[in-house]
Amino acid sequence: MLTKKQRGINWVLTIILLVLSLFFLFPVVWMIANSFKADAAITADMNGLAAFIPPVPGKGFFDNYISILTNTNFLRYMINTLFYAAILIVCGVVVNGLAGYALAKIKFPFRERWVLLILLLQIVPMETILTIHFLMIAKVGLLNTVVGYILPMIVNPFNIFLFRQVFLNLPDDVYEAAQLDFCSPLKYFFTMVLPMSKTVVATVSVFTFLNVWNDYLWPSLVFTSSNLLTAQIGLNSITSNDNTTMGQTLAVITMVTIPVIIIYSLFSKQIVEGVTSTGSKEG
Amino acid sequence: MNKRSSSLLGMAFFGPALVLLTIFLFVPMVLTLAFSFTDYFALNPDLTHFTGLENYIKIFKDDLFVQSFVNTVCFVLIILPCQGIGALCLALLINKVTHCKKYFKVAFFIPVVMSLAVVSTLWMQIYSPEGILNTLLGNLGIPAQPFIHSARQALPSIAVMSVWQGVGYQMIIFLGGLQAINPGLYEAAEMDHASEWQKFKDITLPELKPLCVFVFITVTIGAFRMIVQPMVMTGGGPSHSTYTMVYNIYETGTVNWEIGLASTMAIVFAIFVMVLTVIQSILTRDKEEKDVNKKTKGN
Repeated sequence: MLTKKQRGINWVLTIILLVLSLFFLFPVVWMIANSFKADAAITADMNGLAAFIPPVPGKGFFDNYISILTNTNFLRYMINTLFYAAILIVCGVVVNGLAGYALAKIKFPFRERWVLLILLLQIVPMETILTIHFLMIAKVGLLNTVVGYILPMIVNPFNIFLFRQVFLNLPDDVYEAAQLDFCSPLKYFFTMVLPMSKTVVATVSVFTFLNVWNDYLWPSLVFTSSNLLTAQIGLNSITSNDNTTMGQTLAVITMVTIPVIIIYSLFSKQIVEGVTSTGSKEG
Repeated sequence: MNKRSSSLLGMAFFGPALVLLTIFLFVPMVLTLAFSFTDYFALNPDLTHFTGLENYIKIFKDDLFVQSFVNTVCFVLIILPCQGIGALCLALLINKVTHCKKYFKVAFFIPVVMSLAVVSTLWMQIYSPEGILNTLLGNLGIPAQPFIHSARQALPSIAVMSVWQGVGYQMIIFLGGLQAINPGLYEAAEMDHASEWQKFKDITLPELKPLCVFVFITVTIGAFRMIVQPMVMTGGGPSHSTYTMVYNIYETGTVNWEIGLASTMAIVFAIFVMVLTVIQSILTRDKEEKDVNKKTKGN
């Protein structure tokens, strides 16, 4: 039950938040609205509210988008990145999932020590070993190859630990029943364990996708040939070109953002849960 | 299943991960530590010597390293209070209102899912001399500011952008914490006619304390790791005013190929981050143990 006074406060707070959120979102609104305009219109509109309103759809509405997609390799960069993300999701779920399952359910030598080690590995920042990764990949001649880009990114101590925590709660008797059926351990893992743990598989996949899609540093080191670039590196090479107009720049970054917005709207529950759990686990 | 086949199966399942962990985590860590005591130059590896602590003394005498360290600390000092307190305030407000709750959660979280490169490119346009921000300031009668093009304003400009992008993440964490507080505590306080401020000070803050520690440390570590934003926006300039520690490691190692020196910087950087992580786990574990003690005493 809210009293009249509380309801009043509630409305005031809502209005404060609404105004705040409008100010907060102004860069994003400006980005989308102006990605449909020619540079002359962007400059002309800047001095008023028109800067935040997209033009009326009509002739030339998608000009910036069309010129980027036809004159640059941008579509290819986007497809490359989707392809890398798909490989890394599959490899990551299999490798980290199997490891998590072994650490949770199978008795083997030094198991508890491995768990501790994987916990400890999470506190080492990846930037520390970036140089050595680069050196290693360069020495074995894998620079500028998909394999060289993907290999160091497959294993992830955090995901192994996440899988382990979920698999610990799986019932043991299902495994015993599967053994009576002479179900091979690998088959059992793929047909029983993973389907029973859809939530964690989804969480790991979503975060892997976001990581791969948004990553900048590692692909900028590995890839130099323009055929293999990811969307983020391609974005940078397109927008730092002097011939690219402001409207085209905004169109490029809007397009790079569309996939993450789609993923976020589909999986916002997993993303929010993933974020909140990092807090509750530590806190 | 007997013990032996179980061991084999365990190693078979854990094997692929172990191989990759060894190649891409253990070995690089050991190599980084080992190289940090040498003058390893990747373009001429034959001339490598063991130099002991020479690199460690050298980098702290190097003006550029000291500046990159100071810059990194400045980033932390601006970002930490703004992002930590900003996120807490947003979470408290959103927790309070009953209308449009869902919209607010999404609105403040959108920049989090956008990439560093996109946000940096977008804010380069916003900060440009004839950009939208200077136009808005002009309407308020404020003269045009150089923002990322001046050595004085570049670092705070990037820090503000970074807060804008990150604040939604910690907001979601705080919201989770607020929702986990037992509503009975507030009901009891209302019986005693406690004011809103008293409720905040005596219930909300103490209940959120472990989460605050977590958020403050993760924001600090995040700011410590800053590199992509200055790389895209300013290239570390003007006159190295936005050159960060990780940027320095990156350029020394992968552009100049001075792996020995880069490894030393990386070790110093890693020590800072790991000390912060350890402090955090001590502070939060302390709280949990006290809680357990209280409970056992109560019984």
